[in-house]
Amino acid sequence: MVSAYRPENLKEALLRRKEFRVIPFAGGTDLMVKGRRWSGLAPHFELPVLFIGHLGELKNVELEQNCLRIGSCCTLSYLLENENMPQAIKIALWMFASPAIRNIGTIGGNICNASPAGDTLPVLYAVNASVVLKNTNGIREVPIEQFIKGVGKTVLQDDELLKEIIIPIKSFDTIYYRKVGTRKANALSKISFLGLAKIKNGLIEDIRISFGAVAPTVVRSMEIEDRLKGKTKKYIKQIIPEICSQYSTLIKPIDDQRSNAYYRKIVSLRLLKHFLTKDIL
Amino acid sequence: MKQKISIPIKKSDVPEKAGGSAKYIADIEFEGMLYAKTLRSDRPRARINSIKIPELPEGYYIVDKNDIPGKNRVKMIIDDQPFFAEDVVNYIGEPILLVVGPDKEKVFEIVYKIKVYYEDIEPIFTIEEAEKEKKNPIYGDDNCFAEYEFKKGEPEKAFATLSYIVEDEYSTDYQEHIYLEPQGVVGIYENGKVTVYGAMQCPYYVKNALLQAFGWDENRIRVVQTTTGGAFGGKEEYPSLIAGHAAFAAVKTGKPVQLVFDRNEDIEVTTKRHPSSIKFKTALDENNRIIAMDVDIKIDAGANAGLSDVVLQRSMFSATGVYNIPNIRVRGKALATNKVPSGAFRGFGAPQVFFAIEMHMYHIADKVGMEPIDFKTKHILMRGDTTSTGGLLRSEVKLPEIIDTIDKMSQYREKYEKFKKKRDGLKGIGFSLFFHGCGFTGSGEKDLIKAKVKLKKKKNDKVEILVSNVDMGQGAQTALRKIVSYSLDKPIEHIIYENPDTDRVPDSGPTVASRTVMIVGGLLEKAARKLKERWNEAPELEIVERYKQPEYIRWDQKKFKGDAYPEYSWGANVVEVEIDPVTYEIKVLGIWGVYDVGVAIDEKMLRGQIEGGIIQGLGFATIEVMNIKDGKIQQDTITDYIIPTSKDFPKIEIKLIDNPYEYGPFGAKCAGELPFVGAAPALASAVQYALNVPIRKIPVTPELLLSYVNLINKPQNSKELRECLTTEHVPPLRDPEVSGTEIAELKETS
Ligand SMILES: Cc1cc2nc3c(=O)[nH]c(=O)nc-3n(C[C@H](O)[C@H](O)[C@H](O)COP(=O)(O)OP(=O)(O)OC[C@H]3O[C@@H](n4cnc5c(N)ncnc54)[C@H](O)[C@@H]3O)c2cc1C
Repeated sequence: MVSAYRPENLKEALLRRKEFRVIPFAGGTDLMVKGRRWSGLAPHFELPVLFIGHLGELKNVELEQNCLRIGSCCTLSYLLENENMPQAIKIALWMFASPAIRNIGTIGGNICNASPAGDTLPVLYAVNASVVLKNTNGIREVPIEQFIKGVGKTVLQDDELLKEIIIPIKSFDTIYYRKVGTRKANALSKISFLGLAKIKNGLIEDIRISFGAVAPTVVRSMEIEDRLKGKTKKYIKQIIPEICSQYSTLIKPIDDQRSNAYYRKIVSLRLLKHFLTKDIL
Repeated sequence: MKQKISIPIKKSDVPEKAGGSAKYIADIEFEGMLYAKTLRSDRPRARINSIKIPELPEGYYIVDKNDIPGKNRVKMIIDDQPFFAEDVVNYIGEPILLVVGPDKEKVFEIVYKIKVYYEDIEPIFTIEEAEKEKKNPIYGDDNCFAEYEFKKGEPEKAFATLSYIVEDEYSTDYQEHIYLEPQGVVGIYENGKVTVYGAMQCPYYVKNALLQAFGWDENRIRVVQTTTGGAFGGKEEYPSLIAGHAAFAAVKTGKPVQLVFDRNEDIEVTTKRHPSSIKFKTALDENNRIIAMDVDIKIDAGANAGLSDVVLQRSMFSATGVYNIPNIRVRGKALATNKVPSGAFRGFGAPQVFFAIEMHMYHIADKVGMEPIDFKTKHILMRGDTTSTGGLLRSEVKLPEIIDTIDKMSQYREKYEKFKKKRDGLKGIGFSLFFHGCGFTGSGEKDLIKAKVKLKKKKNDKVEILVSNVDMGQGAQTALRKIVSYSLDKPIEHIIYENPDTDRVPDSGPTVASRTVMIVGGLLEKAARKLKERWNEAPELEIVERYKQPEYIRWDQKKFKGDAYPEYSWGANVVEVEIDPVTYEIKVLGIWGVYDVGVAIDEKMLRGQIEGGIIQGLGFATIEVMNIKDGKIQQDTITDYIIPTSKDFPKIEIKLIDNPYEYGPFGAKCAGELPFVGAAPALASAVQYALNVPIRKIPVTPELLLSYVNLINKPQNSKELRECLTTEHVPPLRDPEVSGTEIAELKETS
């Protein structure tokens, strides 16, 4: 009985993916924990695993004219050291897990795991990232917010792999990122908040706001953001209560072993308000 | 003046532990070894109606209550804990049986195929429920494993005549040890003799537990400690239970049996620090001097008695802190609940009450308009005073020097004043004073332990230490060898100290309560001096030294009168914090500690103890959250039960004040628990100062602080303070989690 495949290249990996039902295995930092049983026993997987973490084709970062292409199996440490990585991504990675986990965990794994607490997700939503999915027939590109459907749910098909992540290039003047975890390293987020803004001639040219770990998927509202664009800082200050209450309906946190819904909701809004009043204004 | 013994030497266990060559119990393979896995109750309280076991393949066994040759009770103060459940289970995780066999995969499969049919019984989860529930108690007829009261002076009279009274209530929660190495043992049965190897603090506790469980002759039971990766009290009483399991399995199967826990299992089923609820009522005279104090302590013991009785006693003897209070009444109860048994944990009941008394003193200081440091200093115990149990403090109490030193190091007073005058963000500074009673309670050493140590001079002029105390990472092997080496004037390399084996070492008592250096080290020092005198008598010599109680100790265990402990170590902490105004996360900016532990046997090792103790204490005070819901631990993995890492706290500044103790080796007293004790109250005081809200429970989480937001925003607080906080536009979703008094205060201010 074969319980693991180690393909030579992406093509072979996709063939296996087509032939069998398998679980893609990149760094394994989520999978190994989920499959854990008793020390000394191999972890349990429902299906055979397909190792992909070693595939060179999935481990590149390419800078193109308007965008950055990040291979799905790039480790988080590698991205942290990559000179082309946008500052907003680096800031999020800096707070991610610990060096040991970052050395093996991948960005593709974090996306496909689709955890509400996935720390690359708020920034990927905010920068309008999209993901490239590949099977033996070809590729399709899906915006990140359409790729992730719910807790642990994505639109990835059984014969597909996440090949790369595309990030449109765009610079921001203000980056306000907060990961609220129980301790400074190796702690999953209770809440994370990212605010990005570009100000021109005293007006808000662009603004992006996303919240992690406070709903089944990342909370971002282009509608609300659009309403803030082109406005003065002074105007925004006046309508903060309104903005807060709009986000308040989107933020639907839960009580769990790490925090409670009350804290998550209130502090998310406090972070939002802090960003709007102290950081950009 | 620094003593020669205090100058650091190399800690002897470091190379093998840091290099990875140390063999822990899970690393040791015995020939033909089988693996055991425990089937546990998944009900908090239930009657077991029946158990359905699948057909077992050849070579696989079930080990349960029917495989215990002697008594199915773990030997403890009260023998109420079964090795394997009989007809009822009393907590989630209580062991019912073992599945044992050669292939872990199969063992695992069998465990999951077994079905237990239960009939649920109404469980008791909280201290309040335990006190109320008399119809169907878990233990005795009142759910009380222990209940005590003692008095000093005439508290009733004082309360009847004084009118200025301050009342407070505090609570503390669970804490899990998270020793690096989870619990583990191997049992072997050979030639009619049982040997248990494992991680443990007290080889003779384990041996005595096995003697009772087997009912055998004592030379048929042997216990050997293996290199132990941390314990913190967690390997004091717990190993007796699993040593029994492995031993019964070894006898039944005739093969070595390994029982080693995974981390999750260890978190779920092993002992933890007792949650507590502590009430104070304190009467002051017109000069703001405390005349009487009434303390009521309740600790949550969980499903079995364990060591709760003695933990409670230590809580009670520490209840009035380092203060000289003429009239005292202290009451205490250890209550049974349907939760995992609470047990020994660094500080052993003292940290809970030191948090409470220090916060209470701070609160009173605030009420009478004094600075906490001055109010506390005004009440400290001095030489010649008597403790809460009426024991005479014979040695010099260096608290004034300790207070002065820590104030200078941390600039406590200056910062306290500065923050008061002008807010610098949400900064706060807190201060705590504390002691730790060294060693066993009262005359426990004389009456219960009767320690005996042995030194053996060998032909090659090497000297072997034979004691039952263990090195669990704290440095006992280095410290005790150092004591012997310095007393004998022989190089440290000539002193041998192996992991204890009950067939080779006398019972020098358990490795607990910092008695290892103070008592066992003291006996070894005496033995070494004797050996030195007789060195040339013969090529081989054996010196045995037995504990003799110092003349001065007076203790009445029935009335709790006299010297509750032979001696005390003292200390002070200052912690400076800044609260994040948006998220309420607590950032610690500075930590200071000053300690009198007599004399340091090795300054560097002591610093290790102090730094570790403080960080563990700050974890207890802040981020180590453990909630039990319907009897089930919510933070049951290392992912969710969060302990601090080196990134969470800044560098700690430490000073030691020498104060040699006449009866300790080279003047040493106790040092293991002390640094833990003062951290939580110093931190909580700093948070209280920063936000001007009363902190009445720990851990102080951001979630808890947020629930106080309305208190912080109350109009009588300065505008400045209120402005530091980002005020909120959304109304609270539901009632914040605040106690009755706080709700009353809220109403008052709205
Ligand atoms: C101690 C510790 C700390 C952690 N801290 C954090 C933290 O701070 N923040 C955080 O967000 N996470 C954290 N994690 C979770 C984890 O490390 C991350 O989610 C990581 O990015 C997962 O990457 P991986 O390569 O290890 O994923 P894997 O475990 O290999 O895979 C995760 C999932 O993605 C799928 N998958 C992976 N790659 C692909 C692909 N190319 N195509 C299709 N499917 C794919 C897998 O099938 C699996 O379902 C932590 C984990 C541990 C153990």
